[in-house]
Amino acid sequence: MSGRRDTLARAIAEQEERLLNCVHCGFCLPACPTYRRLGDEADSPRGRLYLMQAVVEGRLDAGSDAFQTHIGRCLGCRACEPVCPSGVEYGNLLELARQVGGEARRSPLLARLILRVFGTDWLARPAMLAGRLLRATGFPAFAARALPGEHRPGRQRASHEDGNEPGPVARAAGAARLGLAMLAASAPARELFHKRPASHSAREVRPVPARGNGQTRRERLGPPRGGGQAPTVALLTGCVQAGLFSRVNEATARVLSANGYRVVTVAGQGCCGALHAHAGALEAARVMARRNVRAFEGAEADFVAMNASGCGAAMAEYGSLLAEDRTVGERARDLAGRVLDVSRLLADRGPVAGAPLPLRVTYDAPCHLLHAQGVADSPTRVLESVPGLEVVPLPGAAECCGGAGIYGLTHPRLGGWIGSDKVRSVLDTGADALVTGNPGCVMQIGAGLALAGSRIPVVHLVELVDESYRRAGFYAG
Amino acid sequence: MIPDTLTRSLAEICGPGGVIVDEDRLLVYESDALTAYRHRPGAVVLPRTTAEVQGAVTAIARHGLPIVPRGAGTGLSGGAVALDGAVVVGTARMNRILEIDAANRRAVLQPGVINAELSAAARPHGLYYAPDPSSQTACTIGGNVAENSGGPHCLKYGVTSRYVTGLTVVLPDGSVAKLGGRGREAPGYDLVGLFVGSEGCFGIATEIEVGLLPLPEGVRTLLGIFDRIEDAGRAVSDIVSAGLLPAAMEIIDGPTIRAVEDSVFAAGYPTDAEAALVIEFDGLEAGLDGETARAAEFCRRAGAREVRRARDEAERMALWKGRKKAFGAMGRIAPDLLVQDATVPRTTLPAILKGISEIGKRYDLVVANVFHAGDGNLHPNILFDRRDEDELERVERASKEIMQLCVDSGGTITGEHGVGLDKKHHMPLIYGAAELDAMWGVRRVFDPSGVMNPGKVLPEETAPGWPGHGEGRGAAEGEGAGVAEPAVAAMAPP
Repeated sequence: MSGRRDTLARAIAEQEERLLNCVHCGFCLPACPTYRRLGDEADSPRGRLYLMQAVVEGRLDAGSDAFQTHIGRCLGCRACEPVCPSGVEYGNLLELARQVGGEARRSPLLARLILRVFGTDWLARPAMLAGRLLRATGFPAFAARALPGEHRPGRQRASHEDGNEPGPVARAAGAARLGLAMLAASAPARELFHKRPASHSAREVRPVPARGNGQTRRERLGPPRGGGQAPTVALLTGCVQAGLFSRVNEATARVLSANGYRVVTVAGQGCCGALHAHAGALEAARVMARRNVRAFEGAEADFVAMNASGCGAAMAEYGSLLAEDRTVGERARDLAGRVLDVSRLLADRGPVAGAPLPLRVTYDAPCHLLHAQGVADSPTRVLESVPGLEVVPLPGAAECCGGAGIYGLTHPRLGGWIGSDKVRSVLDTGADALVTGNPGCVMQIGAGLALAGSRIPVVHLVELVDESYRRAGFYAG
Repeated sequence: MIPDTLTRSLAEICGPGGVIVDEDRLLVYESDALTAYRHRPGAVVLPRTTAEVQGAVTAIARHGLPIVPRGAGTGLSGGAVALDGAVVVGTARMNRILEIDAANRRAVLQPGVINAELSAAARPHGLYYAPDPSSQTACTIGGNVAENSGGPHCLKYGVTSRYVTGLTVVLPDGSVAKLGGRGREAPGYDLVGLFVGSEGCFGIATEIEVGLLPLPEGVRTLLGIFDRIEDAGRAVSDIVSAGLLPAAMEIIDGPTIRAVEDSVFAAGYPTDAEAALVIEFDGLEAGLDGETARAAEFCRRAGAREVRRARDEAERMALWKGRKKAFGAMGRIAPDLLVQDATVPRTTLPAILKGISEIGKRYDLVVANVFHAGDGNLHPNILFDRRDEDELERVERASKEIMQLCVDSGGTITGEHGVGLDKKHHMPLIYGAAELDAMWGVRRVFDPSGVMNPGKVLPEETAPGWPGHGEGRGAAEGEGAGVAEPAVAAMAPP
C-alpha cells in the first residue's frame, strides 16, 4: 500500500520544480470556470496544484476522494496558464496528476471505453461509421429532445451548484441525451448557407482589411523551408474530424490551396492522442504520438495544419510528451514546432477575400487554441476578411464551453451548467451562427443550443471561408 | 474537525455543498498568498447571502469556535489563515454586483466581487473603482475592505477607506448592522471608517457600498530606466518635492525586472537596468503633457539613462502588467518569498534602498524590490526555498533587520498588506501601551467574546489581562506606564 503511494508520489515528485513555481498568488482563481461557479478553492488551479504538492509531500493519498474529485473536476481548459505570472505549466502537471490518480483508482468505465475506442483503429472506424449512419437517419436530433433532461440551471440553487454529479442511472440517461445531441450537432449546417436570413439581406459589403496588421508576434510565421516556393502544408485528418467532420477537412484543404499553400496528404497518420493525454493515459498517448511523428516526417511539409485545436495543442506538445524517448524525441520536437492552426496559416496570407457572405456571426475561442496555443487574433482576422460578414463579440468567448473532451459525459451536471452559460451568451448576441475551431466545441455548443430549443448552427471557421470562396467561383472548373 | 451537530446546521443553512469538512479538501485552505504560515481550518463554509452568513456565524459562535473570514486568499499577511481549528467563512459565492447607480457614482456589491470586475462593470457608465491593488484581477472587494487595500494609483486617489461609504456587516454575535450608506455623511461616529481595515476582526461585511470615479480624460505614462536604484528613488522624491502630483509612481528593481521580462507579462523593461520607474499622470488633457515633460526632466537629472513614453494604450497596459504581475513572477526565481510592506518617508528612500541591499548581501539572500515609490511604500521580496532550513533562518533575521531599518527611519511596518499574523509581533515597534490598549478596546466593542479572527493584528501579550501585560514593550517606553487597564479581559486567546 505505502509502496504504491511512494511510486505515485515519485512520479509527481520529479515535477516538483515545476510545482514549486506556484507562489500561491491566486491570480488564476478568476480564470477558472469551476472555481467561478463552485467557489471552492479546491476547484481552482491553485488549489489543485496544492493537492498535487500534498501528494508529493506524502500528506495526501492520490486515491483519496479529495484528489480524485478535484483533479477529475478540472476541465483542462488551461485558462489559468496565460494569467500565471510564474509560468506554471498547469496542463502538463494535470496530465501527470491524472496518470497518478488513475493508477491509484480506476477511472469510470465509460471514460475507459471511450479512450479504448479512440485509441484503436479497428474500433474507431466502425464507431464513426455507425455514428454517421445514425446521424443520417435524423433520429439523434429527435431522440435528444424527446429524452427527459435534468432541470436547466437557473439562478435558484440546485444540486449541481455544489458540484455533485447524479447517480449512475441519471448519469447514463444524461450521457445518452447529450451524446445524441452532440452527434446531431456534428451534421453540416446546410440551412445557414442556403437560406439567406431576411433581416440581413441589405447589409453592406465591408472592405477587406490590409495584410499584416493586428497580428501578435507569436502568431506571425517564418518563411517556408524551401525558400521562396509555396509553403507545403500537411493536414492532420484526425479521428472525430475524419469520422464526423470530413467536410471540414475538405474545406481546410480547399481554402489553404486558394491561399497559395501546397497541400499534401499524409498516409499512416492516426488519432493525435489528446484525449488520452488529458485523461492521464500518457503511455497510450505516446504510442499514438510516435506513430504520427513517423507518418508526418515522410511528408517533409513546412507546416502541419490543424483544424481541431485540441489536437493542435496536443501535437504542439509532442516534444515534451516524448522528451524521454531517445529514438523519436528530437523528431517529435521538430514536428511539434511545425504544427499550426489553420487560422494562423490563413491569417498570414491575408487571407484572400471571397464573395460576400451576408451573415451575422459570433466567435467562440476554443480553449486549446486561445489558452494552450496562444492564438488570439488570427481567427478574428480571418473572419474579418470575409466580405459582408458581420462579426459581433461574444461575451465570455474566452471561457470554456464545458465540452472539454469527454467532460460532458463524465461530469454532466457541471459540464451542463458551464455549457448553458455559453448557450445563453450565444443566444444574447442575436447571431445567425456561432463560429469556432474545434470539433468538440462545435458538438458541445451545438448540442446545448439544440437542447435549449434554438436552431442556431455552429460551424467551423474554415466552413465559412470555404462557402465564401465557393460563391466567388474559386473552385469552378 | 468540527462537531457533527455544527456540520449539520451549517449544511442546513448553506446547502450540503456549502460546507467543507473533509480534512483532505481543507488542505487547500491552509494558507493565503503568504505561504510561510500554514494552519488547516476546522471547516470551510461558503454562504451566498447576508442571511446565510448570519446563520453560519450564529451557529459557529454557539459552538464556541473561532471564525475567520476569507475572500480569494490573495492576502500577504496571513490574515485569512485559520488558527486553532477556526471555521473559515469564505465569500467566493457572494460575487454579485447588486447595483450600479451611475447618476450618483455609487455601486452596491457583495464582498466576493473581484476588484477589477467592479471597474469593468462600471466602465460602460464612464466610471471606475479607483483603489487598484496589484492583485486586482483576483482579489475581492471584501478583502480590500478588511485590509484597507491600496495600490499604485492610491498615490493620487487614496486607499479603500476613501471609497467605502456604507457597509452591511454581520457581527460576531450574529447580529446584522448597517453602517453608513447612501452617501458619505453619516451622523455620529464613523463606524465605516473603523470597520475598513479591521482585518476581519470586527465582523464580516456582506454588502458594500462604494463610490466610483469618472474615467480620467487623459493618461500619460513614462518609463525611466536607471542604472542605480537610489537614483530612481531620488527622482521620485524630487518629483513630489516639486509639487507635481502623479497618479502613480512605481519602482521595479533589477532582479524583479529580470523575473518579469522572463514571464508572459514581459513589459519591455531593459534587463540590464537596475531600476525601472513607472510614472503616470492622469486627469484633464490640458496640462498633462507639461507635467509629463517636467517629470521626465527630473528623471534625467537624477541620472536616468533613458526616459520613454508609452505611445499607445497597448504599451501602457504592457508597462502596468509587468508591474502588477511582478509578485507572481517571483516564482521564476525561487519557490518561496516573503514580501514586506514597510512604508517610509519618501526622502529616506535612497538611503533605505541601499540599506536593504546591504542586508540582503550580508545574509546572502536575493531581495527583489517592487514598490509604490510615490507613497514610500516598500515591498522588499525576500526570495528563498523553504526546504533549506539554514536559509529560512537567515530570511527571518534579514526580515527583522529590514523592518527595524524602516522603523528607525521614521517609517511604519505595513503600508497596505495588513498586520495579520505576520506582523503582529512588530506592532510594539511602533505603538506604545496607550495605543495598543485603545485598539484592544475597540476590538472588544465589536467582538466581546473574541471569536473573530483571533490571533491576528494585536499581539496577545499586549492584551489587557494577559499575564505580564504592559511589560517589556519596545518602541514607546514610558507611554504605557500609568495607563489604567480596562477591566474586561475577554480577548485573551485560548
